[in-house]
Amino acid sequence: MKLNLWQMKKSNDKITKLMNELEKIAPELSKIKKENPFRVPDNYFDDFSARLQMRLDAEKTGISKNQNKIIQFLKPALGLAAGFALIVMLAYWPLKTFTPNQLANNIGTETDISEMLYATMVEGIDVNSFYALLEEPNGSVQFSDDDLAIFVNTNSSEYEIYSETNN
Amino acid sequence: MDNSDLDLIADLKNEKTRDFAFNSLVKKYQERLYWHIRKIVLNHDDADDILQNTFIKVWRSVDKFREESSLYTWLYRIATNESLTFINSNKRRSLIPMNDTSEFLMNNLESDVYFDGDEIQLRLQEAILKLPEKQRIVFNLKYFEEMKYEDMSKVLDTSVGALKASFHHATKKIEEYLKNRD
Repeated sequence: MKLNLWQMKKSNDKITKLMNELEKIAPELSKIKKENPFRVPDNYFDDFSARLQMRLDAEKTGISKNQNKIIQFLKPALGLAAGFALIVMLAYWPLKTFTPNQLANNIGTETDISEMLYATMVEGIDVNSFYALLEEPNGSVQFSDDDLAIFVNTNSSEYEIYSETNN
Repeated sequence: MDNSDLDLIADLKNEKTRDFAFNSLVKKYQERLYWHIRKIVLNHDDADDILQNTFIKVWRSVDKFREESSLYTWLYRIATNESLTFINSNKRRSLIPMNDTSEFLMNNLESDVYFDGDEIQLRLQEAILKLPEKQRIVFNLKYFEEMKYEDMSKVLDTSVGALKASFHHATKKIEEYLKNRD
C-alpha cells in the first residue's frame, strides 16, 4: 500500500511538473481542460474481444481453406501427370523392348542364315569348278581365306591336308 | 516490466495457455491501444480496424517477442506502426499529396459522429493535426497519455533527447495556432 501511494505521488509530481512547463511555454494550451473529445459506440469494448476472436477463427479457417484449395488445384494436375507417365511407359517400354535392338537381332539372324547358305554353297562346289573359278581372269567371284579354308576342310580329308602341307 | 506482464508473456508463449493469455492481454490493453490509435487516425471505424490488425499481428508474432522491451511498449509500437501504415496506404489510394494529410484527417474529424468535443476541443485537435505525423504522435503520447520519455523512446525508436525536443516544438506550434485562431 505504501509503495502504491509513493508511486502515485511520484506520478502526480511528474504531471505537475509537465503542467508547470506547459504554463511557461504554452499558456493558451495549459488553459484548455485536458479531456478526451472522442467517444465510442455503446458496448464497443465489451464486444471487441468477441469480434476479434471471430476474425482470428476466420483467419485460421482461411489458412486451412487455402491449403485445401491448393490440394484441390493440384489434384487434376497430378492426375494428368500420372496419366501421361502411364502413357509414356506403355508406349516407351514396347518400343524400347522391340525396336531397334530387336530389329538388330533379326538382321543378325538373317545374316547368320545367309552366311550359312554361303558356306553350304562353298562346301558344295566340286574341285574342278572351284579351280576354274580361282583361275578365271577378272573373276567376279572373290573367295576369302575363310572361304578357302571351308572348301578345303569340306573336300579333303585330314590326311590329304597333312600330306599337301608337308610336301 | 510488471509481474503480471511477465506472467502474461510466459503464458502467451505456452501453447496450452496461449488462448486464455491472449484474451487477458486483449482485455488489459484494448482501451489504451484503441485511444492511442484513435488519436492518430481520428475516425472510429478506422481505429477499430487498426486495433484488430494490431492484436492479430501480436497473435502471429508473440513467439518473436524479445523480452528486451516491455510488453506495453511492444504493443504500442505495433499499434503505432499499423496506424502509420494505414495513413500511408490511404494517402496512396486517395492520391493525396504528402502535405495535405492534415486536411484529409480534418475532414475525417469533422464528419466523425463519434466526436463529442466542444469548439475549444475541436480547435485543439485542429492544431494537433497541423503537426507532422511523428511529432503529433509524440505530443499525444506525452500530453494525453503522460507516457515516460524512456518508454516512448522504445515505442518510436527515437532518442529521449529528440523526443523532448519534439514535444517542446509541438507545444510551441500548437500554442501559436491557438493564439492566431483567437
